Amino acid sequence: MALQSKRKFCFFKENGINDIDYKDVKLLRRFVNDQGKIMPRRITGTSAKMHRKLVRAIKRSRAIALMPYVERGAD
Amino acid sequence: MRYYETLYIVDPNLENKTLEKTMIDIGKELEKSKLKIINHRIWNKKRLAYQILNQKYGSYIILQFEGSDLSKLKEFDVWMKLNNTILRHMTVVLEKKPAIYVEEPTAKDQPESETSDDKTQNGDSSSSGDNNDINKDKKPQKEEEG
Repeated sequence: MALQSKRKFCFFKENGINDIDYKDVKLLRRFVNDQGKIMPRRITGTSAKMHRKLVRAIKRSRAIALMPYVERGAD
Repeated sequence: MRYYETLYIVDPNLENKTLEKTMIDIGKELEKSKLKIINHRIWNKKRLAYQILNQKYGSYIILQFEGSDLSKLKEFDVWMKLNNTILRHMTVVLEKKPAIYVEEPTAKDQPESETSDDKTQNGDSSSSGDNNDINKDKKPQKEEEG
């Protein structure tokens, strides 16, 4: 049996999101891991353009205490 | 003309009156710097992701404004830093002009969904012609009074 590779896609392009708001914590939470680190785009499948916007939004969100810089990961 | 958004955190233990006074003070300071306010509203009271000045909670307030002079903005930034009631603030540039916020009334609307799709197809291909011959003869009535 041939292994079927899971197709990666850009979440933002699929959903027609062009601008990422740093106040939308619910959305941004999808793209950080349990420790609060930003996940690489090779895992999330986000396009390069949107990943740059995403990183900017997450960093802004951290600065204003909406998201943590470090979080204790699930053991 | 550029559009900016300042999100700032205020001590959550402040009373409503004190909070309003702080907001008015900030509004006045901004207008002093010749920056025009578009929106100024309380966003939410939230749990902070990390403690700031030993505070676990904070009231988030959104301030959107427009201006062109960046030096005035720096003055405002310094003033915000020196203000003790503000735990933290951050100003970002907006790409588009923000829409003016209008408070929505808190009324619960019940969604009504009534969909009735009845498709009736008749295979009859008979055409019934109705011929209505209506002849109306109207005679203009003219009354002349001489």
